[in-house]
Amino acid sequence: MTLSFTSADWNAIGPVEILAAAGLAVLLADLFAGRHQWRYVSIVIGLLGVSIAAVVAGRQFGHDYDAFFGGFMTGGFATVFEEIVLIGTAGSLLLYSTIGSASRVAGTVAIMLWSACGAMLMAGAANLIAIFLGLELLSLGLYALCAAVDRKTARESALKYLILSSTATAFLLFGAALLFGATGSVVLADLLNPSLAASPLFWMGAGMFLIGLVFKLSLVPFHTWTPDVFEGAPLPVTAFMSVVTKAGALAVFARFTYSALPAGVAAKLLLPVWIVAAISMIVGNVGMLAQSDLKRLLAYSGIAQIGYIVVALAGGTSLGLRYAIYYLTAYAFMNLGAFAVAASISGPNEEGSQLSSYRGLARRRPWLAAAMTIFLLALSGLPPTAGFLGKILILSVTVANGYIWLAAALIAGTAISLYAYAKVIRAMYAPEEGQHEGGDLRPFVPLAWAGAALCAVVVIAMTFYPLTPSNVLPLVR
Amino acid sequence: MPLVLVSILLPLAAGALLLVLPRGDRALSRPIGTVVAAITFATVWAAGTADWSFHWLSRPFVSAFHFGATPISFWLALLLALCTTCAIAACRVERLRDFVALLLALEGTMLGLFLSRDLLVFALFWDLMLVPVFFALVGWAEHPATAWRYFIYNFAGGLTLLLATAAFGVIYGSTDVIGLPGVALVGGWAPWIFAGFAFAFLVKTPVWPLHTWMPPTYAGLPSPMTAVVSGVQSKAGLYGFLAIATAIMPAALYRYAAPLIVLGLISLVYGALIALVQDDVKRIVAYSSLSHLGLIVLAIAIGNRLALDGALVYIVAHGLFSAVLFLLLGYVEEREETRALPRLGGLGWSNPRLSGALCIAALAALGLPGLAGFAGELLILIGVYQNGYVWPAIVALVAIVLASAYMLRLYQGIMNGPQRKDLPVRSDLTWIEGLAVAPLLAALVLVGVYPKPLLDSSAVTTVQSGPLP
Repeated sequence: MTLSFTSADWNAIGPVEILAAAGLAVLLADLFAGRHQWRYVSIVIGLLGVSIAAVVAGRQFGHDYDAFFGGFMTGGFATVFEEIVLIGTAGSLLLYSTIGSASRVAGTVAIMLWSACGAMLMAGAANLIAIFLGLELLSLGLYALCAAVDRKTARESALKYLILSSTATAFLLFGAALLFGATGSVVLADLLNPSLAASPLFWMGAGMFLIGLVFKLSLVPFHTWTPDVFEGAPLPVTAFMSVVTKAGALAVFARFTYSALPAGVAAKLLLPVWIVAAISMIVGNVGMLAQSDLKRLLAYSGIAQIGYIVVALAGGTSLGLRYAIYYLTAYAFMNLGAFAVAASISGPNEEGSQLSSYRGLARRRPWLAAAMTIFLLALSGLPPTAGFLGKILILSVTVANGYIWLAAALIAGTAISLYAYAKVIRAMYAPEEGQHEGGDLRPFVPLAWAGAALCAVVVIAMTFYPLTPSNVLPLVR
Repeated sequence: MPLVLVSILLPLAAGALLLVLPRGDRALSRPIGTVVAAITFATVWAAGTADWSFHWLSRPFVSAFHFGATPISFWLALLLALCTTCAIAACRVERLRDFVALLLALEGTMLGLFLSRDLLVFALFWDLMLVPVFFALVGWAEHPATAWRYFIYNFAGGLTLLLATAAFGVIYGSTDVIGLPGVALVGGWAPWIFAGFAFAFLVKTPVWPLHTWMPPTYAGLPSPMTAVVSGVQSKAGLYGFLAIATAIMPAALYRYAAPLIVLGLISLVYGALIALVQDDVKRIVAYSSLSHLGLIVLAIAIGNRLALDGALVYIVAHGLFSAVLFLLLGYVEEREETRALPRLGGLGWSNPRLSGALCIAALAALGLPGLAGFAGELLILIGVYQNGYVWPAIVALVAIVLASAYMLRLYQGIMNGPQRKDLPVRSDLTWIEGLAVAPLLAALVLVGVYPKPLLDSSAVTTVQSGPLP
C-alpha cells in the first residue's frame, strides 16, 4: 500500500493546521518583540488563530469528511468536539493576560495551541493510531505547560502529571495493541465484528483501552492525580486541562462506545464504566467538601461533572450523546468562567486561589462576585443556568434508558455538592466580621473580565435556547 | 407583553435595577420596592387567568415556558403580591437596598412558581426561589448554620422534585400539564413519581419530621422576609399537592393518604405542644405554622370536596395571619430589641394600635369565628369527619384548642400585664407601619366573612377520593 495523502485529507484537518500555524506565528511575532512586554500580541495572535480555526471547523459541520484512510473523520460529532476544544483553548488563553508580571508568554501560548491540536485530533480520530497520536500531542504539551512557572508546586504538578499520565497512556497503548491483535486492524469500525465477542484478546484490549480513557477523564478510582496537578499548575493551564483534556478524552470515549463495540458486548463491557461514573459523582462531590483552595475544589468538581456527562452516554442513545454534548458545552463555559474570575482576583503568584481570598468579594468586586455566583449555581445545577437544564436533560435520558440507579446517584451527588459550592457563595456575600481588607486586590484585568462576562451570559442564555446539534450521531461512525 | 409575564419579570427586573442605587441608600429603595410590588399586585389581578406560552423543549419531552394563573394559583399569587407589598412598605433593616432587592427577587421567583403551567418550569422556579432566601440568611441571619439548614433541606427536596419531573416527562411525554384537565398518570411508576413530588412538598411545607430547618429560618430571617417566607413560600408545597398531586396523580395520593394523614396529625399536635413552651416569640409563631399547615396536609390527604375547599381557604388565611404576626413581631423586636417572651410584657399600655393589630392577628390564628382562620378550620374539620375519620377530627380539634392557648399566651405575654421598667417605652405604630398591616388585617376579615370567591375557584380542581378501605 502506498501512502499518498490527497488534498481532501489535508482539508479535513484544516482547523488543526491553522491552529498549529498560529502557534508558529506566535513564536515568530515574539522574535520581533525585543525587550518589550508583548504579552497581548501573543495572546491576540493565539485568539485569532483559534477563531479562524473555529470558523473553518464550523464550515465543515454537516459534511462528511473521511481522511487518512479512515483515520480521521469529521463533519458532525467531531466538529462539535473540535469547537468545544477551541472554546476551551480561547478561554484559557485569555487567562494568560493575568499571569506573572514580567514574564513573556509566547512560548506557553504556542505550546497550548499545539496541545489543543492534539485534542482536536482526538476529537476526530477514528483509528487507534490517530487516537494515540492526538493523546500524546495533547499530553506532551501539558507536561511542559504545567511546569512553566517558577514555583515548586508547579514542578511537582508537572512531574506527577508526567508519571501518572504516562501510566495511563501505557494502558491505552497496550489495550490498543491487544485490540489490533484481536482484529488485525487499527480502524475502530473494524471492531464492530460480532465474532469478536468470543475473543478474550478483544475483552482484555477493550478493558485496558477503557482504563486508559477513564484515567484521562479522571474518574474514580483514577482521579487522585487531578487535585494535586490542578493545584500546582498555572491557572490558565488548569483551566485548559479541566476543559480541553476532558473534551478530547470524552470524544474518544463516545466514539469508542457508540461506533466501535459489537452488539451485545456494550452492555457488559461498559457496565464497570457506568459504575465508576456513579462512584465519581459521589466521591468527587464529597471530596469537594473539605477543600479550601478553589483550584482543588474545581478539580474535585470536575471529577463529578465528568461523571454526569458520562452517565448521559449510558444506554447509547442519540439523545444521550446530544445531551452529553450540551452539558459538556455548558460545563466548558461554567468552568472557564469560574477560572476567569479566579484569575481576576488572584495575584501574580496565584496566592489568591485560596477560598479565604473570596471573603467579602461581593463588597469589593460586586460584578465578579455576581459572575462567580452564576458559575457556581450552574455547577451545582441550580436555575436559571445551563447546569440546571443540562441536569434535567441527562436525568430524563438516563431514566428513559432505564438506568434509574445512575439517576439516583446523580441526585445524591448533586445534593452533596451543593454545600461545597454554596460555601464559596457564602464566603463572597457574608457580611465581613473581622477587618479582612482587600489589599491584595488585583487591578482590573480587561481580558479576564470580558471572558467571565461572556461565559456568564452564555451560561444563562443556554438555558433558554438549548442548542443541541441534532444530526450528530450519523457522523460518529 | 402579556400581563402574566409582566407580573413575573417586573419584580425581578426592579430588584436587579435597585442595585444601581448607591449602596447605603435608605431613602429610595423602600418606596420604589413598595410601588413595584403594588403594581405587581395590580398586574396579577388584571391578568386573571389569561395564559402565555413560549416553546422550550421538544425532546426528551415537550416543555414550554407556559405561564398563567389557575383558579387556585390566582389567589396564591395575589396573596404573595399583597404580602410582599406590605412587607416592603415598612421594613427597616440594615443594608436596606440589598434587602428590598432580595424581597423583590423572591416575589418574582415565587410568582413564576405559582403562575407556571409547566412542571419543568415549576421545578425551575422551585429551586430558584430558594436562592434569595439563602442570600438573605447569609447576609442577615444570626447563625451561619441557619442558611445551610434551609438550603440543603429544601434543595434536597428540589432534587427529588427534579427527578420526579424528569420521570414524569419521560413517561407522559409532556410537562405542560398544570391546570390541564384530564391528565392522569397511571402505571407502576406513578407512586414513585408521586413520592418524589411529595418529599419536596413536605419539606417545603414543612411537616414533622422534616421541619427542623424551619424554626431557625423563620426566627433568623428579618421579619419582613419571614412574613413572606412563612406566609407564602410555605404554601408552595401545599399548592403543589393541590395543583399537581391531586390533579395528576389522584390514585397515588389516595394510596399514600394514610401516611400523609399520620404526618399531618403529628405535625398538628407536635407543633402546637412546642409552641406552648417556646420563649422566642418568632419561634412560637413558627411552630404554630407547623401545626396549622399540618391541618392542611391532613385536609389534602382526606381529599373530599369540603376538606379541599377548607384547605384553600385556610392556605390563604394562614398566609395572611402569619404574615401579619411576623410583621408585628418584627415591630415589637425593633422597639424592644428582644424576642424573649419572659422579657416582654405590658406593651399594650403604651402601644394601643400595635396591641390591637396583634390581637386581631392572634384571634385569626386561633380560629375566632368571623375571621379567616375559622372558615378554613371548620370546613376542614367537617370534611375530615364526613369521610369517617372521627379520631383524626377529634385530635385536630384538640390541637386547634391548643392554638388558643399558645396564641393567647403570646399576646398576653407581650401586651398585657404590668409595664416593665427595664423595657424602653417607644412610640406606637407609625402611620406607615399601620398602613402596611391594615390591608392584611382587612383581608383577614373579608375572607372570614365572605370566603365564597375562594370556594368557587377551588371547586374546579377538586378530586373526590372517598374514604379509605
